[in-house]
Amino acid sequence: MIEVKELTKVFRKPIRGEGLSGMVKTLFSRKYEEVRAVDGISFTVPDGEIVGYIGANGAGKSTTIKMMCGILTPTSGSVLVDGLEPYRKRRQVAQNIGVVFGQKTQLWWDIPLIESFKVLKEIYQISDADYKERMAFLGEVLDITRFLSQPVRTLSLGERMRADLAASMLHNPRILFLDEPTIGLDVLVKEKIRQAIHALNRTYGTTVVLTTHDMTDIEDLCSRIILLEKGSILYDGPLTSLKNRFGNLKTLTLTVPAEIRAETAPVLSEEIALAEEDGRLVLRFDADKIALEQVIQYAFRDLRAMDMKIADISIGDVVKTILEQQEAEHAEKV
Amino acid sequence: MLKKYKPFLRAGAIDTMAYRFNILMWALITVFEVACLVFLWLAVYRSSAGGMDAEIHGFTYREMISYVVLTTVFGFITFNNDTLWNINNDIRKGTVGNYLIKPISYRGKFAATSLGSLLTMTVMFGVPFYTAALVTLRALGFLPDLNFPGFFAHLVLFLISGLCASLLNDVIAYIFGVLCFYTTAAWGLNSLKTTVISFLSGTLLPLAFFPAGLRELVSWMPFAGMSQNPVLILMMKYDLAESLRCVALSTAWIVVLELFAKLLFSHAVRKVTVQGG
Amino acid sequence: MRYVHLYFTCIKRSMISRLEYKKDTVVALFSFFFSNFCSLAAIYFILQAIPALAGYSLYEVGFFYGFSMLPIALDHLFSDEFWLVAYRRVKEGDMDMLFLRPVPVMFQVFAETFQPEGFGELILGVALIAVCSANLTVKVTFGAVAVLCVGAVFGAVIITSLKVAMAALAFIFKRSGPLLQVIYNFSSYAKYPLAIYPALVRALLIFVLPFGLFISLPVDTLLHGAHNPWLLCGAIIGCAAVFFALAVWVWTACERRYESTGS
Repeated sequence: MIEVKELTKVFRKPIRGEGLSGMVKTLFSRKYEEVRAVDGISFTVPDGEIVGYIGANGAGKSTTIKMMCGILTPTSGSVLVDGLEPYRKRRQVAQNIGVVFGQKTQLWWDIPLIESFKVLKEIYQISDADYKERMAFLGEVLDITRFLSQPVRTLSLGERMRADLAASMLHNPRILFLDEPTIGLDVLVKEKIRQAIHALNRTYGTTVVLTTHDMTDIEDLCSRIILLEKGSILYDGPLTSLKNRFGNLKTLTLTVPAEIRAETAPVLSEEIALAEEDGRLVLRFDADKIALEQVIQYAFRDLRAMDMKIADISIGDVVKTILEQQEAEHAEKV
Repeated sequence: MLKKYKPFLRAGAIDTMAYRFNILMWALITVFEVACLVFLWLAVYRSSAGGMDAEIHGFTYREMISYVVLTTVFGFITFNNDTLWNINNDIRKGTVGNYLIKPISYRGKFAATSLGSLLTMTVMFGVPFYTAALVTLRALGFLPDLNFPGFFAHLVLFLISGLCASLLNDVIAYIFGVLCFYTTAAWGLNSLKTTVISFLSGTLLPLAFFPAGLRELVSWMPFAGMSQNPVLILMMKYDLAESLRCVALSTAWIVVLELFAKLLFSHAVRKVTVQGG
Repeated sequence: MRYVHLYFTCIKRSMISRLEYKKDTVVALFSFFFSNFCSLAAIYFILQAIPALAGYSLYEVGFFYGFSMLPIALDHLFSDEFWLVAYRRVKEGDMDMLFLRPVPVMFQVFAETFQPEGFGELILGVALIAVCSANLTVKVTFGAVAVLCVGAVFGAVIITSLKVAMAALAFIFKRSGPLLQVIYNFSSYAKYPLAIYPALVRALLIFVLPFGLFISLPVDTLLHGAHNPWLLCGAIIGCAAVFFALAVWVWTACERRYESTGS
């Protein structure tokens, strides 16, 4: 169980000048600015939950994760991981958590993968029986057995990420922190990684906190999402209710004759937003407010659609909408 | 033609400025090293048969201390060079290929960067350090009077030979950098390069101390022009004719080494493209 | 006991890494021998021009040089990773992984690298000592040999302690490599007899950065019976204990202040 209370992190960053003249200026004076990377957030993650932690770059995701695993100390507020403050009881907490930072590997670069695992076995004091059982499990769900004897530097990005995940799961941590575990990977590898996270969660009841930019990750894995923007929580709750909050949103993607343009097309109702994307016409609307049937008729008759695709609005669109709303509100206040 | 290398010149200048703190730390290290050498040489002269008034291999103790201090300042300003490491980085990260398809020469890029760095070093650290060293040594009576018209000619030749030394150092660093195509032991190569240069250039001790045969051989190599000769020109131990000979020898070596570097690089690149690395 | 086992597991790992780069080890060893060859040649050339250096003959100076390599070599074998901590690893955010494991960070840094190049230094140092001793007429006493052994082993402890303490500062300043270099380079002062230095520097090398205490004084004891060997042994061991305790204290204090980068 993770309890986060009023968590705040402020960084002090030197302001650097641009180019040669700026460089000369910083020779003589150095100014600092304060950045509130995380600003008073609170939430609780119960055991066995998979939480998606999302937000734009610089929203404070990595900073929060780093505080939860103890390598950053909060400016104020607190984090409790199974009742312990990770930045104070680092070593005790480390035994119970696994961490993957997508951009960095925790494996030793030059040695066969299996040798890295052997070292980790000693570091985490894993018994022979447990080690055997875990390797069998991970070998199956992550499909790493094939390249166990290869040096890590020869692995592809996808293989390396699977290996890194296996390394973080080897000691059967109660909580797994995954920072961008699918970044830069192809669809098949992403799928495999999601299945592995699911399997781990089901088999061992592991709590998982993950950050990602991939909305499919979120829809596949997370029963709950925490949406972060500029260091504050915008939304915290189940995925379905986030969607519902925006009504029964749908998108219709149409292939239309060239002369039909978003700006000039005949209008049926103010409820329908029209946009051109990749040469197609996209209609967004709330199906609770205007009947789907009516919109389809309009699409064929008035817009002369030749082809059509209907979809529920994606989580990406929802997030985008929330952020846009937020910005609009902010602008009004100013 | 040369204009396209201007960004690299600038980059070299900016980098050097960005690392000014490290450079100052390095200056501190260097001061302690010089101090150790000064103590060593004082002990050497004290222990010599002629005592403190002795002249060993043409150097009085005053000249020797001036020599040690000035070669150190010279090395500090001139040998601040990251070419080997940058090439090694390009090779390890695989970005070296990006330069092969650009219309600039890989060698030219580094020459420009090093030149930018040299200019910044000279202005930011060279001027104060040389002035401090010369004024202190003169005040202690270790250097003869710097009578001006004569000294001015030596100063100009010193600056030219200093530029030659920097170019020599850069092309040698480049050659060792290209050797990183053949081995990943960049660290070993770098320390080999540093050792060869400091021993054969007279930084460790003046070449006059070498046995006659070795001394003759080394005097024809490019290394003496990288440290000993410029400093002896500045100290006015060489007359103008000797100074000009040194500059000519360095220039000839620059041409030879640049040609060698070109050949080596094309061989290395062929090796890489064949292997598909 | 657990840590002894863990240490050997990690060292085995480090050796497997090294075997991936056999060619590099050869280049590194070659450059190491060449660089020492040059330094020795320089000393030889200088001593050709004078009868003796501050009363020390060529072979005595050679003995100094050889012995000064031993503590440095022992330190080199076990603690090379601290250079990387001081210069790069903290700055590049490469320490996070060590903080996420249930093992002390200092232990992990020690266990990260075992540097077999140190054996090259050990062999060269011992060879130099052997060659120089063969050309010297010294009365070898048990006490003098004991103080040399103590100087080499506990000298290594002192060097390592200095390294640990300086590297630890990187946790606060992000990068402490140059500072470590300043301190470490003082070891080159100990390559020569203390007699060549002014009194102030001599005092500094015995009481502050004690390279002279565990290199110069033991050699003087063997060559000239200059000091009471047992007293000197006690002083060196005591000094090593103090330095080691200080290093652990500094490291612990700095480690607590370590923070990862923001993004």
